[in-house]
Amino acid sequence: MQNVNVVFFASLKERMGIASYEAQLNLPVTVEELKHKLSKELNNGGSLLESGIQSSIDFEFSRDTDVIPENVKEVAFFPPVTGG
Amino acid sequence: MIRVQQEDFNVQSLYECLVEENKTGAVVMFVGLVRQFADLPKEQCSFELEHYPGMTEQNLSSIVTEAKGRWELLNVTVVHRVGTLSVDDQIVFVGVSSAHRAEAFQACDFIMDYLKSRAAFWKKENQGSDSKWVSANIRDEESLERW
Repeated sequence: MQNVNVVFFASLKERMGIASYEAQLNLPVTVEELKHKLSKELNNGGSLLESGIQSSIDFEFSRDTDVIPENVKEVAFFPPVTGG
Repeated sequence: MIRVQQEDFNVQSLYECLVEENKTGAVVMFVGLVRQFADLPKEQCSFELEHYPGMTEQNLSSIVTEAKGRWELLNVTVVHRVGTLSVDDQIVFVGVSSAHRAEAFQACDFIMDYLKSRAAFWKKENQGSDSKWVSANIRDEESLERW
């Protein structure tokens, strides 16, 4: 098992009620597997399964099917971006 | 140059940094502002811009690198503000210099399109005592298809 820092942003962070969480994972796992694990572990974790929630692995946008590697530093979840 | 900052920016100074003596034939700049978004006095309206430190800068850098690969450019500057902003405040600056105008126009347009959909920023509108997160606009995603 490995501790992985998971961070949340914007409306998702508000709905989850937390900005970050140390997840214990048996890597490698996919982003989708992490979402389902956290949806059960965290209060209001079901928000992670809502459509449109995006993710990143070590600052790069990722998809649900992407694999989180063993040397990962940080995974993030957030709603669609709205800059500019 | 890429900067994510709370403080305002000066367009004239940013313009001067884009120009290279004897080489520059065109400079195209875009400035995005906070427009009035509610039927309230503007003093009661504000914007909050959140970002993901580390990822946001990396996103902007990737977009600029992609633009430099597609067009022959001299300099590119992107400045995006974060924190609390008021109606009429400047939010974002994108400036591109090149030898010819076509490259500068296209690259500036490209960078803004990608910045809207591929950079980690989130806007929240505050109206009096209410606040709501801005939803992503489907047209922003669709506009990427032209590139």
